[in-house]
Amino acid sequence: MTNHIIDILKKEIENFKAEMKVEKVGKVMEIFDGIAKVSGLSDIKSSEMVLFANGVMGVALNLEDDAVGVIILGDFSKIKEGDEVSATGRILEIPVSDAILGRVVNALGAPIDGKGAIKASKTYPIEKVAPGVITRLSVSEPVATGIKVIDAIIPIGRGQRELIIGDRQTGKTAIAIDTILNQKGQNMICVYVSIGQKDSKLRKLQACLEEGNSMTYTVIVNASASEAAALSYIAPYAGVSIAEYFMDQGKDVLIIYDDLSKHAVAYREISLLLRRPPGREAYPGDVFYLHSRLLERACRRNEKYGGGSITALPIIETQAGDISAYIPTNVISITDGQIFLETDLFYKGIRPAVNVGSSVSRVGSSAQIKAMKKVAGTLKLDLAQFRELEAFSQFGSDLDDATKRQLERGKRAVEVLKQLQYAPVKTEHQVVTLYALVKGFMDDIPVDKIKEFEKGLTDYSENNAKTFYKEIKEAKMWTDKGEEQLKKVIADFKNNFVK
Amino acid sequence: MTTISNNDIARAIYREFTDAGHEGVYATSQKVVNFLFRKNLISKSGTILTELEKVINREEGRTVARVTSVKPLTEKSRTHLAHIFKKRYSAKEVELIESLDIKLLGGVRIEVNDEIIDFSIKNKIKKLQAYLTRPE
Repeated sequence: MTNHIIDILKKEIENFKAEMKVEKVGKVMEIFDGIAKVSGLSDIKSSEMVLFANGVMGVALNLEDDAVGVIILGDFSKIKEGDEVSATGRILEIPVSDAILGRVVNALGAPIDGKGAIKASKTYPIEKVAPGVITRLSVSEPVATGIKVIDAIIPIGRGQRELIIGDRQTGKTAIAIDTILNQKGQNMICVYVSIGQKDSKLRKLQACLEEGNSMTYTVIVNASASEAAALSYIAPYAGVSIAEYFMDQGKDVLIIYDDLSKHAVAYREISLLLRRPPGREAYPGDVFYLHSRLLERACRRNEKYGGGSITALPIIETQAGDISAYIPTNVISITDGQIFLETDLFYKGIRPAVNVGSSVSRVGSSAQIKAMKKVAGTLKLDLAQFRELEAFSQFGSDLDDATKRQLERGKRAVEVLKQLQYAPVKTEHQVVTLYALVKGFMDDIPVDKIKEFEKGLTDYSENNAKTFYKEIKEAKMWTDKGEEQLKKVIADFKNNFVK
Repeated sequence: MTTISNNDIARAIYREFTDAGHEGVYATSQKVVNFLFRKNLISKSGTILTELEKVINREEGRTVARVTSVKPLTEKSRTHLAHIFKKRYSAKEVELIESLDIKLLGGVRIEVNDEIIDFSIKNKIKKLQAYLTRPE
C-alpha cells in the first residue's frame, strides 16, 4: 500500500513542470473593513483577481495613479500592512458545471452545503456584457408562476425582468419560492440569489424547496448578512453567470435576486470605503449602472445564437410603501414591470397582497396563453372598478342593480385570487376557475364558500372535462366543443354544490 | 473629486529640481519642505520620497534590482544578471542590491519595480504542493 502511494507520488512529480514566470506584485499599504490599498500592481486590469499572501482572493476595483483599491473576498483579519499581493491576470470568475444543480454555493461558487466539492471544468467571468440586440428574441413564452393573480393579471414571459416590490413582511420571497416550486416539469432551471439575508431564512427556504422536490433544478447562491459587503456585491453577478452557463446550453433559466436593496447598500458601503464621491442617499453615482448591467443580462436569445432565456425576478424592499425612493425608482425604470405588494392588503387577509392597480407587466401579455388571455382579459379592469365602487359605496346604501352586481362580482374575484403559500395552481385549473368567475357561475355562491367551490370545481372538472383540459394543455386554447363540455361540467358541479 | 497622488507630487518635485539646476538646489529644497508642511503632507514624506526615487530612476534610465539568494552571487552571475536586466528594462544602468536568505533553500529571487521573478527552491516546492493538492 505504502509503495503504491509512493509510486503515485513519483508519477505525479514526474509530470509536474514548474512554470516560472514574471509575477506582478504589490504591497498592502492600508487595510480597513474589507478594503485594501495596494501599491505596485502597475498593469492590473479593473475587476482582476489578486491573491493575498494568506491565500485570500481580492478584486481590484479602484485603479489609481499610485495605488489600487482592492475589495477582499474573504477573511481580512490576517492580512497586514506590507503583505505581498500578486496579480493573477484573470478577471473575477466562478467555476460552473451541471453538478452545481441542487447545491448551495457562496458568491465565489464554492459549496457551503457540506455535500462535498463540485466538479467543474469551466469557469465563467462574473462580469459580462449583456447579449446584443441581434441575438435577442422578443418575449413570447410564459413563465407559469402558479400564482393566479400574477398569471392572470401581471403575466411574466421567459426573458422578462419583473420586479417584486413591497415593504418588509408582505410576501415578496413567498412569491419567489412559489414560482420556483411551480417550475417542476416546466423545463426551467432556477437560481436563487440571497443577498444579505439571515442564514436561518435561507435554511428555511432550502428546506422548503427540498420538501417540494425543487432543489433538483435549483441553485442557491448565498452571500449572507454575516459575510463581507464585497461578497454581497458580487453575489448577483455570480448568480447570473451560473444562469448564463445554463442559457448557453439552450435552457430556460429563472433567476431571483433577493434583494437588490441590500445589494445597493453593500455597494454603497464599498464605494464609501473606497472614497468614491457619494451622491443621493449617499449612494455612488454609478448605482444605476450597478443594477442596469445586471438586469440587462436577462434576455431571450434567438435560435441562431443558441436559444435559451434568463428571466429575472429582482426583489426590492421599500420603507413604508415609498416606491419613489432612489433605488426603487431606479429598478422600476430598468425592469419590464413590477408586482407591488402592500401591507394593508396583507393584513386584510388578501394574500398574495398584490396591489393590482400599481402592478404592471409591460411585455408579459404577449407571452400569456390564449385561453388565459381570454378569461383574464377584463379581470384587471373589473378589479379596478370594484376598488373604486367599493370606496364609493361606503358613502351611501342606495345602489342600483348593476353597481351591486359589479360589487358582488368584485368580492368574488378578490376571493378567487387569494391563495395559500406553497400552493401553486396549475394553469389549467386557473383557467377553469377564472372562466367560472367571469362567466358569472360564481355570482350566487356566498363569498365565504368561494374557496370551497373553487377546490371542488377544479377536482371535479379535471375528471369530467377532459377534452377541455387536453385542449388547454396542448393547444393553449379551448374549442367550442371543449367550452360546451366545461360549461356543462360547471353547471353540474354547481347544482350539486348548492344542494 | 480629484486628488493629487504621491506620484504627482514626486513628479512635480523632480521637475522643480531639474528646472532649478545646481545653483537652486538649496532654495528648491526649502520650497519643497515648505509645500509639504503647508499641505500637511509631512507624514507622507516617506512615500513621496520613495516615489521620487522611482521617478529619478525612470528618468535617468536606472533600474534597481533586488536579488535574494542563499549564497552570495559570483561575479559572473552578477554581470550576467545585469546584462539581462539592461535588455529587459531598456535600462542604461542597473543597480543590484543583494541580500541573503537561507529560507529560499536554493536559487534566486529577483525583484524589479513591481515584478518578481522567483527561481528559488522554496517557490518550486510551493508550486509542487499546489499541483499535488489541486482539486480534481
